[in-house]
Amino acid sequence: MVNWPTFISQCFNGLVLGALLALISSGLTIIYGTLGVLNLAHGAMFMLGGYAGWVAYTYTNSFIAAVIVGSLFVGLVGVVMERAIIRYFYARPHEDQLLVTFGLGIVFVEAVRFFFGSLSNIVPAPPGLGGITPIGFMFYPTYRLALLGIVAVALLVLYFVLYRTRIGIIVRAGIEDSIMVDALGINVYRVFMVVFGIGAMAAGFAGIVNAPVVSIAPDVGEAILVQTFVVVVIGGVGSFPGAVLGGLIAGEIISITSMFNPGYSYVMLFVAMTLVLVLRPYGLLGTAGRE
Amino acid sequence: MLRRRPFLIEALTAIGLIAAPFVLPYLGFAPTTINRILVWGLFGLGFDILFGFTGLLSFGQSAFYGTGGMVAAYLLTVVSFPHVMTAVLIGTLAAAAVGYLIGLIALRRTGIYFAMITVAIAEVFYFVEFNPLSRFTGGENGLPGVPTPTLYLGFTTVQFNTDWSMYALLAFWYFVGLVLALRIVRSPVGAVLSAIRDNPLRAAAVGHNIHSYKLTAFVIAAAYAGFAGGLLGVMQGFMPPDAFTFDTSGQLVMQTAIGGAGTLFGPLVGATVWLYLSDFFQTTLHIGATWKLVLGIVFVLLVCFLRRGIVGGLQDLAARFTATAREAVAPEEAPVLADAAPDAEIDAPPHRRGGYSGPILEARGLSKSFGGIVANRNIDFTVEDGELRGIIGPNGAGKSTFFKMLTCELPPTAGRIRFEGRDITGMDIAAVCQLGLTKSYQVNQLFTRLTVRENVVIAALAERRGIFSLDLLRRVDRVAGLDSQVAGTLALVGLSARAGTRVAELAYGEKRRLEIALALASSPSLLLLDEPLAGMSPRERAETVQLLKNIRRGRTLVVVDHDMDAVFGLAERITVLHEGAVLAEGTPAEIQANSQVQEAYLGGVAAL
Amino acid sequence: MSALLEVERINSYYGDSHILFDVSLRVERHEVVALLGRNGAGKSTTLKSLMGLVRPRSGRIILDGTPTEHLPPHAIAALGLQLVPEERRIFGSLSVEENLLLAGFSAKSRWPLERVWATFPRLQERRRSRGTDLSGGEQQMLAIARALVRDPKIVLLDEPFEGLAPIIVRDLLTTCRALAEAGLTVVVVEQNISAALSLASRAYIINNGHLVEEMSTPDLRRQPEVLHRHLGV
Repeated sequence: MVNWPTFISQCFNGLVLGALLALISSGLTIIYGTLGVLNLAHGAMFMLGGYAGWVAYTYTNSFIAAVIVGSLFVGLVGVVMERAIIRYFYARPHEDQLLVTFGLGIVFVEAVRFFFGSLSNIVPAPPGLGGITPIGFMFYPTYRLALLGIVAVALLVLYFVLYRTRIGIIVRAGIEDSIMVDALGINVYRVFMVVFGIGAMAAGFAGIVNAPVVSIAPDVGEAILVQTFVVVVIGGVGSFPGAVLGGLIAGEIISITSMFNPGYSYVMLFVAMTLVLVLRPYGLLGTAGRE
Repeated sequence: MLRRRPFLIEALTAIGLIAAPFVLPYLGFAPTTINRILVWGLFGLGFDILFGFTGLLSFGQSAFYGTGGMVAAYLLTVVSFPHVMTAVLIGTLAAAAVGYLIGLIALRRTGIYFAMITVAIAEVFYFVEFNPLSRFTGGENGLPGVPTPTLYLGFTTVQFNTDWSMYALLAFWYFVGLVLALRIVRSPVGAVLSAIRDNPLRAAAVGHNIHSYKLTAFVIAAAYAGFAGGLLGVMQGFMPPDAFTFDTSGQLVMQTAIGGAGTLFGPLVGATVWLYLSDFFQTTLHIGATWKLVLGIVFVLLVCFLRRGIVGGLQDLAARFTATAREAVAPEEAPVLADAAPDAEIDAPPHRRGGYSGPILEARGLSKSFGGIVANRNIDFTVEDGELRGIIGPNGAGKSTFFKMLTCELPPTAGRIRFEGRDITGMDIAAVCQLGLTKSYQVNQLFTRLTVRENVVIAALAERRGIFSLDLLRRVDRVAGLDSQVAGTLALVGLSARAGTRVAELAYGEKRRLEIALALASSPSLLLLDEPLAGMSPRERAETVQLLKNIRRGRTLVVVDHDMDAVFGLAERITVLHEGAVLAEGTPAEIQANSQVQEAYLGGVAAL
Repeated sequence: MSALLEVERINSYYGDSHILFDVSLRVERHEVVALLGRNGAGKSTTLKSLMGLVRPRSGRIILDGTPTEHLPPHAIAALGLQLVPEERRIFGSLSVEENLLLAGFSAKSRWPLERVWATFPRLQERRRSRGTDLSGGEQQMLAIARALVRDPKIVLLDEPFEGLAPIIVRDLLTTCRALAEAGLTVVVVEQNISAALSLASRAYIINNGHLVEEMSTPDLRRQPEVLHRHLGV
């Protein structure tokens, strides 16, 4: 039977997972909002972050280096992907954008499989953050606690960039009306490139900081991608606050349901998504007209 | 093209299916590979109707493939249901039923939302199959021991227990599936589906219930998926749980795009390429791990450079050859409308007036605001039967919003609209068009990938068949009265000689006339024309004014345009909108003499 | 010295729809020019063509000596041209201040934030309000201010007075006149012809996509029948 400590610790797990989903979904949603492209390779970006970090870790034995390399590498992949391929798809139909990003996701996953094999790898938690920590009446893995803090800080940084810097103003304006941004004299295509890089980097960062919790494997991105979609549908496409709210809701649903029967966690997620679609078709914090 | 010769495609397919076992082994195809290709091809027939023909890209087809397969396998193994193909058909029905329910949810949204929702749905099915329902589905073990079908022929019983006998079974069912899919694609429903793919807004505006048609396509795709899933279990003697994985959906999407969406054969060709390469890399080159990487790269390149896939690319190539050949023979002369039109007699619709004798359209107190901005304020507007009314107004007068409310494209914030005495406020645009009120658009809203004739057929079908009809197996040209209606409409707008031309190849003036033809083909009793002269050269303007004079016989027209000379020359009465409200109404002479109207147009100059 | 803006026989389309036919214009430095015509005549399309939002299929546009007809909008803006669009296109989710910061303040701009606040005190009062919460007049002020921040050589005003109450039109007109007197070059498209003519020293009249008249404002006032012919009902 479910007891209180288990329940609280599952709620905590939900919070950690929710924060992580919020971060990944923010990346997906600002890319979609600004560029109008749904990046089906976003899950692969999460996976790439883990691998790039793991490679850096094996060379340096430094977790910090792993996080920096993981995020920067994926940001770079995003920028190159936008410059080399995605920008030719802005004028093409949505289906083509979906197909090409889907294909790129497969290429990334299979390339990693080719170079590193299918077996999973582990990046250990940084020294001092291993083990478990007693909090009140329960024990909780120390790194997970730290992860909550790390992801919260990353979300705050993203918030700061989006809401307190000029580039953030440009991104938010671009989500509304990218043509007018261009007419004001801001090279909107350069902004698109930057946004794609930031969005990818958010997923890559999440991929490496999550690696000590869930070992990395070429296909870890797939489940994350699906969960991210549910988050975005619940929160509303193109909305940063929506991604955060949706992420927390989805994280808690998955964790609390898993406590009773993990098999139903996706069913409950789906029920929540359906409810939102019926009651608020544009998502909890979304606005009409984004399709 | 091929479509004109009945049963040619069917015959060629039958020949190909019979020849395959004699040819393909020499090319290095193992019999089991060929059988798997057929299952994927069958799976893809339904998916192509959904994606290639209707434009709905689903990443969740594995849900229905798995459902059909598991239901059939469960019946055959656990329940020991005796008849194999009946079990497969029951699985198909189950998949279709699930497809109907899922479609109700997924089709609430379009575009990327639809894609995301289908992905999520497929993942739910995967987890449900693996865990809560593992008692029935065998969880990660799947269901082994699926029996092979037998066929009792009276004197002997055929056992489909070898690879080649299984091929015969699968080839037969693929052929049945293909013939059905061809019937569907060539039916009125198929025509409407391709209209939805090209321009859903206009498909609804000419009077089709596009939601029901999309749901139809979704259920068809689910049924094909379920059937293919059932055959998968029968073919392998084992129903694998990985039928439910996201990979399955992804592989289907990729195979279809590689082969060419919208061709029906694309998925089969794509599966051939896919499975052949997979075998080739693993057994010949012994680099099994890279085949998916190579395929992924090939796929990305195809999407970038050959969007219509292999079959589509070949079609384009063939079309280019025949087109250059035809051009060399006879360059067609485009006829001038003024000559063609007056001869064209088309009966104006004696519409469904049902004894009602009041004004044909009556709007009372119509208002519309967006956020805090008021576009229309308390408009009263009445049109008598048979009238030709002009509407003019300076920029920002709210004419477009007003028109959108009249055709129920936009709900009014306040006020009521009555059409032929019936309150139509809050109805949807397709239903209003079915009643006989429709509009031609200021910016062309055509079905751009179809020909001129096919465009008009879409509109005429709505009038002939009603808002929704499931005549999946009827040929389009068997719809009673359709031909004469389409021919009459084309003659009326002077496009008869261009009937076979694709919209993309039309001149602008011709597109404008086709725009009007789409509205005319649904036989409206009241036709609203939103800036029919927009963007036309002086000669095209003169032709179109003539066209409007021709079509007004027996119809009621309301015309918005900026061309004062045209509006004053055509209309018997004119309504002037200004700042969202009615400023004046009267005969052209009265309007010209109205000082308020002059003041509105001259922006205070009169007072200078 | 050549004109600030020279337009030579441009032809513009929306899709296949031919909107402008061989339109030519000239705007001198520190001049206010009005572009008049009925709706649908092609005035907005002319401005959009100048901004690069609609690309002319033929013809030349020369801004201060540089051909711009092939440049993207942001490059044209960098050369010193700003459009205040008809729909205003304020960023509704951004605050007033953010709408201005978006355009960015360069160190040598003649329009630092203080000068914007001094010119439009109402905007300073509402600096924290979101764009969607502004009234029509405030939105119009913000749209003009947003263009000025980029320190343009020439501003295109598309229907700046549309849908505004007369008293607000009068205020806005005063502001615009002050800007013109300070040396700003302006092309104004406006349905309110008396307002447009009170700003402009010269006017072009455009009809069905063709340029039909060019006249100085005093001449136009002397010959109102010209206006009646091209703009009246």
